[in-house]
Amino acid sequence: MTRRAPVGGSAAANPDAENAAAEALRCSVSSQFGRSLHIRTLDTGSCAACEQEIRLLAAPHYDLHRLGFFFTPAPRHADLLLVTGPMLRAFGVAARKTYEAMPGPKLVVATGACALGGVYQPDAFSYGSVDQLLPVDVWIPGCPPSPLALLQGLLVAVNRLAERVSELSFVAGSAS
Amino acid sequence: MPQWFVNGLRRGVVTTRYPHQPDVSASFLPSPPTFRPTELTREIADSLVQICPSRALTREGDMLIFDAGACTACGRCRESQPRAATTSGQFELAATDRSALVKRVPLLGEAGR
Repeated sequence: MTRRAPVGGSAAANPDAENAAAEALRCSVSSQFGRSLHIRTLDTGSCAACEQEIRLLAAPHYDLHRLGFFFTPAPRHADLLLVTGPMLRAFGVAARKTYEAMPGPKLVVATGACALGGVYQPDAFSYGSVDQLLPVDVWIPGCPPSPLALLQGLLVAVNRLAERVSELSFVAGSAS
Repeated sequence: MPQWFVNGLRRGVVTTRYPHQPDVSASFLPSPPTFRPTELTREIADSLVQICPSRALTREGDMLIFDAGACTACGRCRESQPRAATTSGQFELAATDRSALVKRVPLLGEAGR
């Protein structure tokens, strides 16, 4: 498994190769992890609303363990990095170290509008979005995303559900 | 003993499908807006762009660009222009490509022509 370069690096110059690498990674995760995957959450300056929703995933109502997902406290044991917040510059080194500490193959999921670049612009205090620093594989919108939205995102990340959002148009009278 | 544990022992399958049951709370959770192109003019689109607190809306000519990834589902567009924007009820929005979240809405209102 080759390590992917973060966005902004040399791989970003060739988006087709980047997409192909991402697709290969997803397929390999699906085949290698099968039904079980360990998640490390990373708060890069979020308001903690996303964390509240992430916590709810483990509650009996949503019960993400039934789907083979588990939370782990150490990046060394993690397959998937669930990143919230707008990626504060003060947190940049820690975020990169966390990513590098994870064994490959690994996935990065950006969670919430801040992580997707919706709320904060890049400035002296924050990078503005997670993909400025880490190679993001799946984007989960929402402020905060509901637990079921998170669950769908996680299942999309491990290739067990097809993503639906590219079919939605947000135009009344059409498919959505 | 939990029922899923008994079922797992009996069938050898310990996981359930997604979603195990429909999310009853999905209908009243905030969700990104759906736009009615025939109600949108350049003026209305500009007012929506002005009012959006998370820069999810921009206007390019006769197109309203809606970034569902940046949308915080605050509902201000729906409140200010209830005819042009309604709630979509969509929450399964995970994307494997950031650009898949950026949607283009044509402005087909009368003054927009």
